[in-house]
Amino acid sequence: MNNSRDREPKANQRSYRRMLASSVAFGLTASLACTTVQAQSVDLSKWSPEYVKSIAGTEEVDTAADCAKITPLDYKGKVSVWWTGPNDASPDIDRKVHEDFWAAWKATYPNIETDYQNIDYNQLLDKLRTATLGNAAPMVVRLQILGGIEFASKGYFHELKPEDVGYATADFWPGAMKSVMYDGVPYGIPTNNETMAMIWNADIFQKAGLDPESPPKTWDDVVKYSKQIKEKVGVAGYGLVAKQNAGNTPFRFMPQLWAFGGGALDEAADKPEYKSVWLNNDGAKAALQASYDMYVRDKSVPVSALTNTQNENQAPFIAGQLAMMIAHPSEYAKMVDLASKATGADKEVADKVVSNMRYGLIPEGPDRRAVVFGGSNIHVFKDEYVDGGLDEQAAKALVCFWTSAEWSTKLAWVTSNPGNLRGFKTKWMKERLDTIKFLDVTTSMLPNGIPFPVIPEATEIMNIIVPDMLQNALTEKMTVEEAADDAAAKVEELLSGL
Amino acid sequence: MTIATERAAIAPKAAEQPWGIGLLRRIIDHRSDYLYILPALLVMLVVIAYPVYYTIELSFFKTPPNLQMKDKIFVGFDNYAAILSSSSFHRVTINTLIWTVFSTGFAFLLGLAAALALHREFAGRGVLRAVLLIPYVVSAVAASYVWKWLYHSDFGVIGALAVQFGLTDRPINFLDNTTTVLPSLIVVNVWKEFSFAMVMLMAGLQTVPEQLLRAAQVDGASAWQRFWHVTFPHLRGVSMVTVLLLMVANFNSFIIPWIMTSGGPAGASDIWITDIYNIAFGRQRYGVASAYAVILFIVMMVLGYFYVKALTRGDEARAG
Amino acid sequence: MSTATQSSLPTTRKPIDWWRWAGRFTILLLLIFTVLPMLWMVLTSIKSQFAALQYPPQWWPAEPTLNNYWRLINPADSIGREFLRYFWNSFYVSLITTILGVVVAVPAAYAFSRFRFPGRTFLFFTVLVRNMFPAVVFLMPLFLLMRWMGLVNTHGSLILTYLTFGLPLSIWLLKGFFDNIPIQLEQAARIDGATRFQAFLLIVMPLSTPGIIATSIFSFIGAWNEYVYAYTFLSKQESMTLPVGIQRFFTEFATDWPGLMAATFLMSVPVVVLFLVLQKYFVRALTEGAVKH
Repeated sequence: MNNSRDREPKANQRSYRRMLASSVAFGLTASLACTTVQAQSVDLSKWSPEYVKSIAGTEEVDTAADCAKITPLDYKGKVSVWWTGPNDASPDIDRKVHEDFWAAWKATYPNIETDYQNIDYNQLLDKLRTATLGNAAPMVVRLQILGGIEFASKGYFHELKPEDVGYATADFWPGAMKSVMYDGVPYGIPTNNETMAMIWNADIFQKAGLDPESPPKTWDDVVKYSKQIKEKVGVAGYGLVAKQNAGNTPFRFMPQLWAFGGGALDEAADKPEYKSVWLNNDGAKAALQASYDMYVRDKSVPVSALTNTQNENQAPFIAGQLAMMIAHPSEYAKMVDLASKATGADKEVADKVVSNMRYGLIPEGPDRRAVVFGGSNIHVFKDEYVDGGLDEQAAKALVCFWTSAEWSTKLAWVTSNPGNLRGFKTKWMKERLDTIKFLDVTTSMLPNGIPFPVIPEATEIMNIIVPDMLQNALTEKMTVEEAADDAAAKVEELLSGL
Repeated sequence: MTIATERAAIAPKAAEQPWGIGLLRRIIDHRSDYLYILPALLVMLVVIAYPVYYTIELSFFKTPPNLQMKDKIFVGFDNYAAILSSSSFHRVTINTLIWTVFSTGFAFLLGLAAALALHREFAGRGVLRAVLLIPYVVSAVAASYVWKWLYHSDFGVIGALAVQFGLTDRPINFLDNTTTVLPSLIVVNVWKEFSFAMVMLMAGLQTVPEQLLRAAQVDGASAWQRFWHVTFPHLRGVSMVTVLLLMVANFNSFIIPWIMTSGGPAGASDIWITDIYNIAFGRQRYGVASAYAVILFIVMMVLGYFYVKALTRGDEARAG
Repeated sequence: MSTATQSSLPTTRKPIDWWRWAGRFTILLLLIFTVLPMLWMVLTSIKSQFAALQYPPQWWPAEPTLNNYWRLINPADSIGREFLRYFWNSFYVSLITTILGVVVAVPAAYAFSRFRFPGRTFLFFTVLVRNMFPAVVFLMPLFLLMRWMGLVNTHGSLILTYLTFGLPLSIWLLKGFFDNIPIQLEQAARIDGATRFQAFLLIVMPLSTPGIIATSIFSFIGAWNEYVYAYTFLSKQESMTLPVGIQRFFTEFATDWPGLMAATFLMSVPVVVLFLVLQKYFVRALTEGAVKH
């Protein structure tokens, strides 16, 4: 779609418009637009990259003053929080923002003693499960969008909605708000929301005889391009991942499944009820077939896809050994960072790949263009499950601070978008849009976002059953047909409560 | 071995005393003796007794995904029935048997070969033994990552070497393939533990009386005959213990399959332990996982019985 | 069979000794099998990240670099700081486990060796079967227990658990040593006016030093390498031990294989050195009990 290098502003602009056109054409999917637009500060019905740009920097916020209404600034207490924050592989700026956040928090609430634990993405759920069994949970936890339902359904979470910390529900994405409701009760507040995009290496496209500036438009194109790249250039085409129990497998496969008209349940429907299983409908089978074609028939994707997570694709991509993949918004920043740390001969390769990096919309399928509506929500545990008991005032103060327009924007700096829509109006959003070039692409995917089913069984479906289905088909242990039916049967069984 | 022959027998007679007042009195008489073992016993109790009790109890309950643990539902033997009748249990059990038997068998045979070859004194023998033992002392985590890298389906050195030598025209797919994954993991396991068998058997070889071998040689026995009729019978005890220890270790081994494949692809390298972990932590079926664990305990206890028996054989022989 | 052909018949010149050659060949093969993976680990660790991701691979690094190592041991680097912290945690936990292990095992082994109290056999074998239980199935109950004792997120939880790996072997091994120290020696000391404890300390302990060293190495290495419990009991980054920390590196460095190989190498150094220095004792710890009959 576009590329970020400053030296090509025009190409950038051009592709940007193309992207814009398509995203406007698709408009808002029902999954996001289903709640009525109330008196909200950001008008979602007008959502477009241009609208986003036009509102950025139009509002001043005073976070401390907002939160003081919830909890006095001189409040004395303590709070504990677990979340997945930046790590050593994160771009420096991401780490810096988090340091700033904790410093600002300390300065705003100097008398709240804070114990914060940054826990690895793949470990956080496991740890939280064990912790809740022993009533050793933290007061506050920020979880990936799919993670909270399980705990909410078990009754671990405190009821929590934006109004509890002084914000309006209408100021958060409707899709995100849906992900914090269980049995009609809200138990969390979205902190950030994100959608992924397609990232590709224009140089490899060129060598393979493809248009270096345009991404595959459909999933059929992905299969075709991948094959052509493998044959002509000898490197892997599409970065398929199919590892089990790794959160990023469904993030990459579900968009494909939805695009073909499939689904785990009916989450892609206008009004999902999470009752019918779509894993073995024709669309799902077609999507699975496409993966099978790439992995088994064409051998055009990394063979290690079955043991790989997305992490394992980053290095080959930056080393020029992989042509395209579905990437998180932060991946660009990560690539730039990786390139900046490379030395010697590596440096040349990495710089070249970075300058050839392009971001575009995720391909569409026969049914739609789709992407996982991702992000994180912040939750508060009930008193009895918290290690040392809950300090409600302190916890609320932290939640207010975290989900404020200011910090939900800043904390999402390179990785996603503010959960609090008012964040889009701040000057920091303007600064982000000005400095992070690919941001508008991933932001533009937001209206195509489909949230995972909001049921307690969602983790098992997404992290176990769906990857299993892929593995069964890709290893040829089962035919595509059988694998889909098998997975559907497992979901049925799961939902029937066996 | 340098240890003297005079070992205190584990007194079976003491244990055969009748229960009742006499026993109580003797316990009181010996009360200070217990103080010595108390710390060890406490630690063991804490770390074994409670978990065993907890696991057995939980194995009779269902733990639905939307209920907290305290609201678990009693289901009797349903969890056991569900496991034993599931098709995946059958498949995973076969994997477990393949994994255990082949790992143990190959580790033992390689260890025996190494022990025999290293038994004779020669310059550098100590160094060789040490080098061969290194895989045994490094962590399984380290070993798993190193081998995962060696096997890597796209950039792995083994696949590339095979292509280099013209054995295949594409890099071999070791871990992302349902037929090769289990043998590949077994190789790693054997790499890690064959030298354990080696040192055990080397120690065992020291107990073979030199005179017997010489006598056999004078009688014209061939090398094979000497091994089979003289050496091997003396190794029987140590072989038994070695095989049992290896089997227990292999039944219980988790790290290598977990880190390298997590039981995949498509369950092809799932063994009992990884399956239990997945059921408990991946799928939150703590009750089912507990029942599964109890089945595993039972197998372990059987192996443990033979282990203890093998260890005490000498004692009983001497006492009797 | 080298055993059989051993030296001692100097009488006649023999034809080529096939068994001996077969033995040498076996050793050579096993050596290659053992060493090659380690060699590739080292070779990878001195490559740059992209040099490692080539196909066909660079058999020998084109531009060898020690960067991966420097980064890990440089306290000024955030990665180095973390790695060194994990390293220290591992060392600390392993050391305390080892020391406590000796403190707990020695009296127990002594009691099993010298005293004839009821239930001795039963208790002895209860202790022995500890290692029959896989760590994985105990994770949840142990976590709850640690929580109840307030040990979650502390190194205490690991030390307590790790103690039990080493204990059975330590007790078994030390009991063997004590069995072989004639009781008359102690009795003589007692006659000379020593208390039972003094006799134990002055007579028995020095004689069983090799056994204590042997069990110590074993406990240390076991604790150093443990992964499953450390993964479950610790959620604070600053208290993590190496095997878990290494995994963090793996997921966080966007799978930097050379970096991971360097970390793996550094993690293995202490145990390998310890093992090489005290090899004799280690081997003894392994084989003790199984062979003496």
